[in-house]
Amino acid sequence: MTWIDIANLIINGLIEGLVVALPALSMTLVMGVNRFPNAATGDFLTLGAYGAVVCQLLLGMPLWLAALTSAAVTALVSAGSYQLIFRKLAGRPMVSSMLAAIGLGFLLRSLIGFFAGHDQRTFDMPLMRAWNFGGIRILPTDLAIAAIALVVLAVVFVLLYQTSFGRQLRAVSDSADLARASGIRAKGLMLAMWLLVGAISATGGVLLGMKAIVMPEMGWEFLIPAFAAMVLGGIGSPIGAVLGALVLCVAQELSVPLLGPSYKLVLSFAVLALVLLLRPAGIMGRIQLVR
Amino acid sequence: MIAYLCAIGIIALIYALLALGLNLQFGLTRLVNFGVVAFFAVGAYASGLLSLQGVPLVVCFIAAMLVSAVLALPIGLLSLRLRDDYLAIVTLGFSEAVRITIQQEEWLTKGVQGLPGLPKLFAGWPSPWGDVAIFTVLVLITALVVWGTVRLARSPFGRLLRAIGDDEAALSALGKDPAWFKVQIFMLGAALFGMAGAFYAHFITFITPEQFIPLITFYVWMGLVMGGTGSVRGALFGTFLLMVFLEGSRFVKDWIPGVSEVGMASLRLAAVGLALILVTLYRPNGMFGGDSGGKSQ
Repeated sequence: MTWIDIANLIINGLIEGLVVALPALSMTLVMGVNRFPNAATGDFLTLGAYGAVVCQLLLGMPLWLAALTSAAVTALVSAGSYQLIFRKLAGRPMVSSMLAAIGLGFLLRSLIGFFAGHDQRTFDMPLMRAWNFGGIRILPTDLAIAAIALVVLAVVFVLLYQTSFGRQLRAVSDSADLARASGIRAKGLMLAMWLLVGAISATGGVLLGMKAIVMPEMGWEFLIPAFAAMVLGGIGSPIGAVLGALVLCVAQELSVPLLGPSYKLVLSFAVLALVLLLRPAGIMGRIQLVR
Repeated sequence: MIAYLCAIGIIALIYALLALGLNLQFGLTRLVNFGVVAFFAVGAYASGLLSLQGVPLVVCFIAAMLVSAVLALPIGLLSLRLRDDYLAIVTLGFSEAVRITIQQEEWLTKGVQGLPGLPKLFAGWPSPWGDVAIFTVLVLITALVVWGTVRLARSPFGRLLRAIGDDEAALSALGKDPAWFKVQIFMLGAALFGMAGAFYAHFITFITPEQFIPLITFYVWMGLVMGGTGSVRGALFGTFLLMVFLEGSRFVKDWIPGVSEVGMASLRLAAVGLALILVTLYRPNGMFGGDSGGKSQ
């Protein structure tokens, strides 16, 4: 393997990492505030991708408009799931919320499978040849994907760190009791956060669909990598989630020549287990959240 | 008819063993295992592969239990350091990692083609008496496990386990080390899953990686939570409800015209999802909830 191969793998890993950063960010927000790993995150991704497919196929929207519409719809589904399910499970054992999240994931995935079928689908977009810089190949689509992911991340970070919404959210994440005592109204804040979480996940799904194919199981396969990225970065740390996703995906790509592409998920699991054993607080995390 | 009832009974008892194992791990000790199917799969493959080498089935079954238990050791050790939600995701990831490994390591497992032609238990017996014999053995083993679980729950060891589930910190403060007990119970549960896997392999006689998807884990969870965690009665009754659900959905197909086989699989998955949501929302204690089941922390 030459250094050019390695460079290609790293570039691939970085692009995939930017995409995985979106579900990881979405999970870490829920984990920080509602204190459970939202196992339905992957299926929000799938919903986002299928929403865009439907908008393109049936309504003839251009991809960008289809993606925006789908993000809005997924955001509503996400906020609705909070309002109808997870809000009521607050204060119950964590297993309840997780089982309900798994159930929600099954429900979304199966409804998608029932109505859209199990055939692989793709977005309607122009196919382009990869640019070749002396052996380093870059797909224009991948550049677009990376750019969109960066813009979404930038918007989310501005929301989190420059607005009162973000300050309140981080206050609740740090200490729910303290935040309540200082007069933060949790209800509207929670709904806004779940809207955001749904929109971020849906965008991740569309980007994944642009990179590969759209099928009912696509999001589920990113649940473990997203979780590993979140743990690697440190639970509840948005920047950590992004860094974790980048590190994880580059590591995954670099392992492909050794292990083959099928073992990516196994590597995610191994990284997850190792981080939890060796450095449970993750790269950017605080120790308190992990026993 | 006898053959059909036997088949359902056998599958039900295999699920009952899984539910009883999960009840040991979660119902009694509050260890959240979302990777039940991994140990089930490993038991099935361990026993299946050995039997194809001509090893006697009794030895295969024991090996299946041992391999599953040994595989549970590292996860059990990891569980000592993890809060329950982390353990849930780690075990879920573990089960997917196991499934992918089985799928990829073709030299050992034949990959996606699976292992056909596994020897059936009581193969020499005339139909349907072979199945009746399997059923009878499973009834005996389930009764033994039920008896053992009840004894265990009432023993000082069982009280200790419940105390771990309820308040581990207080227990440590009393000078007991809960760690090793947790690992033991994790391995014991896994051994039961492994045995269930071996029964499955030598009843169905054909196993593929596709039979061991996470859905199986959540079938067992659904059964246990519906029946009520922390009680043997709950685990058994939950399994009964689960079988009504799994078998009943076959007949639903006849009432809904125009739904394909794949569409029906989707609807069944949707029903499982909905059931998981509704049960956690409205019946957290199940029908026979044990005294520590569903209690808020």
